[in-house]
Amino acid sequence: MKRRGNRKKRIEALTAYGFLLPNLVGLTVFVFVPMVYAFYVSLNDWNLLTPKVFIGFDNYIQMSHDKDWWQAVGRTFKFTIIYVPSLFCLSLFFAAVCNSLSQRVENVTRTLFLLPFAITSVISAAIWMFLYDPKDGIINQFLNLVGIDAQQFLGSTSQAMISIIVVVIWINLGYNMMIFLASMKEIPGEFYEAAKIDGATGWKAFQHITFPLLRETSVFILVVTTIGSFQVFDQIMVMTKGGPANSTQVGVLYIYHQAFEVLNMGYASALSVVLFLIIFILSLVQLRLTAKKD
Amino acid sequence: MGTKRKIPLSIFAIICGIFMILPIYFLVIGSFKMPNDVFELEVNFSHLTFDNFRAAFETPIIRSIWNSLLVSTVVTVVALIFHAMSGYALARLEFPGKTFVFGWMISTLMVPFTVIMIPLYMVTKNLGMANSYLGLIIPMIFNAYGIFLFRQFYRDFPKELEEAAYMEGLSIAGAFFRIVLPLSKPIIIPLTIGFFTANWNNYLWPLIINQNEKLWVVQVALANVIGAEHETQWTLVLAAALVCALPMFILFFIMQKYLVEGVKMTGIK
Repeated sequence: MKRRGNRKKRIEALTAYGFLLPNLVGLTVFVFVPMVYAFYVSLNDWNLLTPKVFIGFDNYIQMSHDKDWWQAVGRTFKFTIIYVPSLFCLSLFFAAVCNSLSQRVENVTRTLFLLPFAITSVISAAIWMFLYDPKDGIINQFLNLVGIDAQQFLGSTSQAMISIIVVVIWINLGYNMMIFLASMKEIPGEFYEAAKIDGATGWKAFQHITFPLLRETSVFILVVTTIGSFQVFDQIMVMTKGGPANSTQVGVLYIYHQAFEVLNMGYASALSVVLFLIIFILSLVQLRLTAKKD
Repeated sequence: MGTKRKIPLSIFAIICGIFMILPIYFLVIGSFKMPNDVFELEVNFSHLTFDNFRAAFETPIIRSIWNSLLVSTVVTVVALIFHAMSGYALARLEFPGKTFVFGWMISTLMVPFTVIMIPLYMVTKNLGMANSYLGLIIPMIFNAYGIFLFRQFYRDFPKELEEAAYMEGLSIAGAFFRIVLPLSKPIIIPLTIGFFTANWNNYLWPLIINQNEKLWVVQVALANVIGAEHETQWTLVLAAALVCALPMFILFFIMQKYLVEGVKMTGIK
């Protein structure tokens, strides 16, 4: 009896390993090894054409003086600081609006807001490049109607970044709104009825009931959108390629440029390692800050 | 809240919603216009044309749509099977090293794609998969996200079904593939949508790993149409963009119901 039990256990363990094997191999080869390899390559001078030369931490020293890199990191932060709070507030706001509509109007509104999500990043770039056209673009035509001069948008060093942020918000607003809306729907109606007796309705009810109960969702959205904003690439690559005058060259774009255009693989790997540390520390800080109140 | 107060709010919501889809309206209308009046706000119905689509079909767009469909479908199907198996093992089976394996897999979630794109490119190239479907597909299959969500799902899965299957003489693997997996639709549907859209949207990886025009995916092909000429031919770009958007629009309207539920499953839990 006991031996049969052992045999069963052995079969169970073997099946488990068999079930895990494809992912263990895949994650090792395509995530874990690259992670370690990134660090190793970052200690070398390597342009893909000639053999690697081990140079220790020289790439990191070079990076510390690389003004272009730190400016790119700064632009990433700028992107994040504008993008994350805007997206957060807008999706929360429209989720609250949807939540107080009748079911039919809510469904229509939701569909309209979600539709851009069905569009890919490059398609969104194409549409908005057309809308932003500095000469006859649709947006400039509307601005003319209200008496504002035509703007350069993507062609202006001061407007390009914000113009791109608008596109990325436009794509992601519906989805994030849906996440908020889904968790708003899970708040029991009794909570609001109880609050009503205490005289808390509308904004007050939102402030004291809805928002506190959305904590987990809020943290989730904040962390995910922050990490996402540190990796923004597609729209910028298509719309401005980092220009004009590097004004939209964010961290990932600079890494891409170093790796696949200049073929500075070692240096670009060092940049990736630092980008990883930045993202990692930032998400830790965010989790810590938001978990504090408990 | 009374219905009276809802009327202004409803109007406000719908107007905002219309603003949200206005860019899509301009995409659709623009792609039917003559090159000379692409920027006109009014639509002159006698001046609409299909020529832009004819021109778009001469670019690698159509081929790229097939490539994207192929890549996204294969990645999604294979990933779902692998992730379901791993999630099931981690949720329901006992084996030495379980905690470690789970922790290790979850820790890979912290590694953003952009951080490993350079070494991933080298590894994939060294495996001889650059400029091939394999290079577009295989590295995209593995992520701990799906494994994690499957594990969550299987932890709450009723035990009785498996026990009944064992009574019938099925092995663990048999019970999983014949009984458990077919009953996993609530998690498979949102993940299918999630994986498929993520891969359909992928731009950076195909851009890096494939230089062969014949294997361009839809994102790369469209980006090339946009950047092809110095003076952008907007009617061509918009028509090409609309063609690229169609498969997802169709999927969107079929799957919208599941999308909403998927957000609940994958978004928060």
